[in-house]
Amino acid sequence: MTSEKPALNPQTWLEQHGDYLFGYAMLKIKDTHIAEDLVQETLLAAIAAKDSFAGQSSVRTWLIGILKHKIIDHFRRQNRTIAIDDWVENDELASLDRFFNANGHWIQKPAAFPDPESAFQHNEFWHVFQQCLAGLKPKQAEVFVSKEFYGLSNDEICKHLSITSTNCWVLMHRARLSLIQCLKKNWID
Amino acid sequence: MLNCNKASLLASRALDEKLPFGSKFMLNLHLMLCRSCKNFAKQLAFLQAAAHHTRINEHLKLSKKAKQRISNAIKAK
Repeated sequence: MTSEKPALNPQTWLEQHGDYLFGYAMLKIKDTHIAEDLVQETLLAAIAAKDSFAGQSSVRTWLIGILKHKIIDHFRRQNRTIAIDDWVENDELASLDRFFNANGHWIQKPAAFPDPESAFQHNEFWHVFQQCLAGLKPKQAEVFVSKEFYGLSNDEICKHLSITSTNCWVLMHRARLSLIQCLKKNWID
Repeated sequence: MLNCNKASLLASRALDEKLPFGSKFMLNLHLMLCRSCKNFAKQLAFLQAAAHHTRINEHLKLSKKAKQRISNAIKAK
């Protein structure tokens, strides 16, 4: 323990990164117990391999990399090939054709939303919101949650996903458009 | 003049970082003239407020019990 790099402090990883890893796993797995197990496996693997941490990325990025492999292994064990396809799908480059016509005009014009504070009082709203989040494509969900729930910067998010900042903005935009459309359809209309 | 597709992308990006001066100017000009995009900007604010609201975040946090269990597993190693 004493020979490790001074910045590396595995005892704090659960406290510092546990929620983030769990939230990340939940978006892919949608099962609390399996997600918890994967977080545990990830942390144990990371602690066992801590000497191989190169220090080129943040600890969190490194942990997420390990978790991704654990999630893929999990899907493999279950023969969930569809989920793996889903995982590698390049959805950041798909267009916004669903929302805009060729001239760049809205296909369905956005209308005013109700007052947020009164909406947030309703349990039904949160149920719909959760469903809409779960319905996002994996990469869209990842950028949105990383940004809005965990406060990561765009730079960090792009780095995790290895995509350019332009693709990152588009991906984030699509996540937001999809969520807004979903909320409108299932809660407001 | 920006079209709505581009303006909406800028409105979304503005939530994540400071826009370059030119882009910000073009966006504001568009928002002054376009009710749809103005509504969309409000929808974006609504969405962000919902995401920041604490109740939803609880679903994506480890429970105390799970944390304890993982902590024990780590110590047992």
